[in-house]
Amino acid sequence: MYGWTGRIVKVDLTRGDSWSEQIPSELLHSYLGGRGLGVRLMRDHFRLDPFDPQLPLIFVVGPLCGTVAPASSILSIVSRSPLTGTISSSSSGSSFAAGLKNAGYDALFITGESERPVIITITPDGVAIVAAETLWGRTAGETLSALAGSGNVAAIGPAGENRVLFAGITSGRGINAGRGGLGAVMGGKRLKAVVAKGGIKTAVADEKRLLQAGENGMRLFRASPFLFGEMGVNEYGTPALVDLMELRRVTPTENFRKSSFPCSRNYSGPAIRRAYKAIKSDYCDCPIKCGKISDNGLLLPEYDAVSHFGALIGNGNLESIVKANALCSELGMDAVSTAATLSAWGEWRGSFPSAGELPRLILDLAMRRGEGDLLAEGSRRAMAVLGRPELSMSVKSLELPACDPRGSYGTALAYCTSNRGGCYLGAYPVSHEILRKPVPTDRFSFSGKARIIAIAEDTYAAGDSIGVCRLALLGASLEEYGEMLAAVIGIEQTAGELQQAGARIHLTERFYNAANGFEVKDDSLPERFYRESGSGGEGVEIPPIDRRRFDEELQKYYRIRGLTPGGTFEDIAFLDEQP
Amino acid sequence: MFDQIAKYTKKLLADRSASCNGIAFAAQDDVMIAEGSPALGHLAGQVLSLLNAQALVAARPSLPFADFLVRRSPVGESLILPGDTETRTFLHDIPFIRKGEQSTDLPSRIVSLLKQRKGLLVEGVGIFALGAMTVEQAYINYSSIFHATFVKYLLDILRDGLLLADEEQGLHDFRANWLHPLSVAALLFRPSLALADKHVITEEMATVGRYTVECGLVDSCFGNISCLSDDTIYISQTGSSLDELEGCIDPVPIDNSSTAGITASSELPAHRRIYETSSARVILHAHPKFAVIMSLLCEEQNCPISDCWKECSKIRFLGNTPLVAGEIGVGGLARRVPPVIAGPGRAVVYGHGVFTTGKTGFAEAFHSLVEVENWCREEYFRRIDSKLF
Repeated sequence: MYGWTGRIVKVDLTRGDSWSEQIPSELLHSYLGGRGLGVRLMRDHFRLDPFDPQLPLIFVVGPLCGTVAPASSILSIVSRSPLTGTISSSSSGSSFAAGLKNAGYDALFITGESERPVIITITPDGVAIVAAETLWGRTAGETLSALAGSGNVAAIGPAGENRVLFAGITSGRGINAGRGGLGAVMGGKRLKAVVAKGGIKTAVADEKRLLQAGENGMRLFRASPFLFGEMGVNEYGTPALVDLMELRRVTPTENFRKSSFPCSRNYSGPAIRRAYKAIKSDYCDCPIKCGKISDNGLLLPEYDAVSHFGALIGNGNLESIVKANALCSELGMDAVSTAATLSAWGEWRGSFPSAGELPRLILDLAMRRGEGDLLAEGSRRAMAVLGRPELSMSVKSLELPACDPRGSYGTALAYCTSNRGGCYLGAYPVSHEILRKPVPTDRFSFSGKARIIAIAEDTYAAGDSIGVCRLALLGASLEEYGEMLAAVIGIEQTAGELQQAGARIHLTERFYNAANGFEVKDDSLPERFYRESGSGGEGVEIPPIDRRRFDEELQKYYRIRGLTPGGTFEDIAFLDEQP
Repeated sequence: MFDQIAKYTKKLLADRSASCNGIAFAAQDDVMIAEGSPALGHLAGQVLSLLNAQALVAARPSLPFADFLVRRSPVGESLILPGDTETRTFLHDIPFIRKGEQSTDLPSRIVSLLKQRKGLLVEGVGIFALGAMTVEQAYINYSSIFHATFVKYLLDILRDGLLLADEEQGLHDFRANWLHPLSVAALLFRPSLALADKHVITEEMATVGRYTVECGLVDSCFGNISCLSDDTIYISQTGSSLDELEGCIDPVPIDNSSTAGITASSELPAHRRIYETSSARVILHAHPKFAVIMSLLCEEQNCPISDCWKECSKIRFLGNTPLVAGEIGVGGLARRVPPVIAGPGRAVVYGHGVFTTGKTGFAEAFHSLVEVENWCREEYFRRIDSKLF
């Protein structure tokens, strides 16, 4: 078989058993791999409670992983989120994806719950479940280092062990698949780490065609100011966005009370480079190299983390931001939800966390000590307990990342239609509303956005499933990646066909959520955005969002998606009609 | 979307790339709308309803070159491969459907091709171009295909001569009716921008950008323009239309102390190097068609290079204008143009377009651009007349 290995390895931690199976080729072709395949594999399990031992935790890679296709070795981790209750897929660009593929598998499917801490080791020769008491309690970084000699590692830190609801899974050189709290699912299974290695190469049907298609993609990367430009992410990492977002007045500031933070210049891309002598990280085999490390090897924060540990809590101290991010990485915790939860709590108590307070608060949160125990439940639950639920800046309990929706209406809609909760990555409207790619759109207009969001969701779902980095799709498109996929698997794949698969994947996720009770009332922004203005200036006004227009566009989105006005499925047999 | 359709219909007429009674747009949000020529609009609506995209333009080009290219293609061939940079970078190739293949279910044939490419040619019907997200995107793709077929056809007949009975008449009509003299006589420029403030600079850039489009020296969202003032480069944003630059000019600090200009044109690296290595204070970059055609006309024999756009390191000349290769963005253009442009204040990039500079204001840069294009146009017709007649 070309591209895919066609095999899945299943591990039952309750019984201490493992076995491998063939993946039906129809599923591979229909769901592609990565996020799509993971979502399909959840079909019989999506109603399980996130801490039910039988809930699967799925690590899955795409058919381009292990080939020369650029920016295509993304690992997807899929399960049901303990933070949001939605289906959740989280991705990261690390060497673990290639490790799993080299071991001979497209997917690792883990169920059950071990009585004691363990690690799973996967090689072409088989699976071993090994006691890991000595690693339990150690940080993600320490665990990665301890196991580095055994292969490619994905591990949790203390936050995952303590079931912090936004704990992540760390791999490579500290890259966190953080959003949605799947690290807590892993911790609930008492699984400290997974190690994968092997020498199995991904078979490619037409190497020459792949090289040509890959070069077409690289040409578009080089032509993209955002990716490879002088001020782009290849130079500065995603903090390259800091200055532009501030100029556009969409910097979430003081728990979204404001949308501008002049001190953001303290942690802009150039500021980080100056202070930390940032260089390009080689943590994954990707030409974009968005990850940056300091001259002494410290992994530097990406955009959402730097902005949320900065503006969102009113903190202009770069050193404290970098330390907070590093601490989240070590403890294995999503930096976005961590900062946003602390921000909501800060507004509740009347003062945002100071730079000096941050390390203790983050540590307490990961260890569930003192007030950290409540905050470890995420902002929605914590603020509900504290009597101020409106202070949680989240959608479906997932804390919003660093773009104020009052200055980016596509983002407002995308936050609400994202199947994993308040996230913009599923459609990334920042690309056209802020970055002007592939074409600019009016960021203060909802006109046309319903279909644009639906198309983008399908596109990114397909990209996530063949294993392509989301940044790559800001340069190249499914047209180029369809050609690469066709070269790899030996079967023609058009952009249109990939989008169809993306739509199937997105709607499957939506169906799972609807079956678990999510509906139109959950597709809504926090009240603040409909009532309060952001921070205008320099000729830009940031008024509250017109709720009537938002609701109108959301209904358009439902009609385009074939959903009911309640955001649910008319056709209750939808899943049965899918491969 | 009606306003967008009206806007881009007007643009297709203004740039004379489409026939006045042969333009239709279809667009869909939660409902489908089709505007323009009824027959084309009906077909466009049928096609778009089967695609996951926002907009589609179907228009009959104002020139017969696209149809000629289809008819000149060998039997069995189903696409053309123009050599211009817009095609190479964004379109890759342009599929076509011949007249004889249109009898059965034309909408489905078009749909299947639009699932893999941004646009296509339907012989005798027109160019179909998709806008995945916006009406503007459909217009941009149409413009790129029109540009590509213009360049390829005129280059092909220079190399291979006329092959079809009606080509001579088509070429005659093109020269007599479509092609207008290119002149700067009626255009006004500020003599110097040396002491100008930001407002004056951006206003002049917008004016010159509009001249560039109105003279047909660049199409849709291609080309870029900049001005160096003190420690700031004012440069048009990526994806901006040169005739609509108001609010689309980024101030970029020369020392890169801010990344707010991350939306600046992809050619910012080239502009910066030119400023660093010459006395230029303004730069204009456009895609004039005859300069692109002549740049692709390489007469090098037994050359070992296969990827001319990227790998050719030679400096050739079009008249007194140096010609170099180099892909856009950081793909080589930024390295190869600055060394050759410093002296003459003008340079052509293989398959791509022309860069010109001015030391005080845009008059010099614009005059140079027109001179280069006029020289290339004259040289092209000198050669074609010598070959064909």
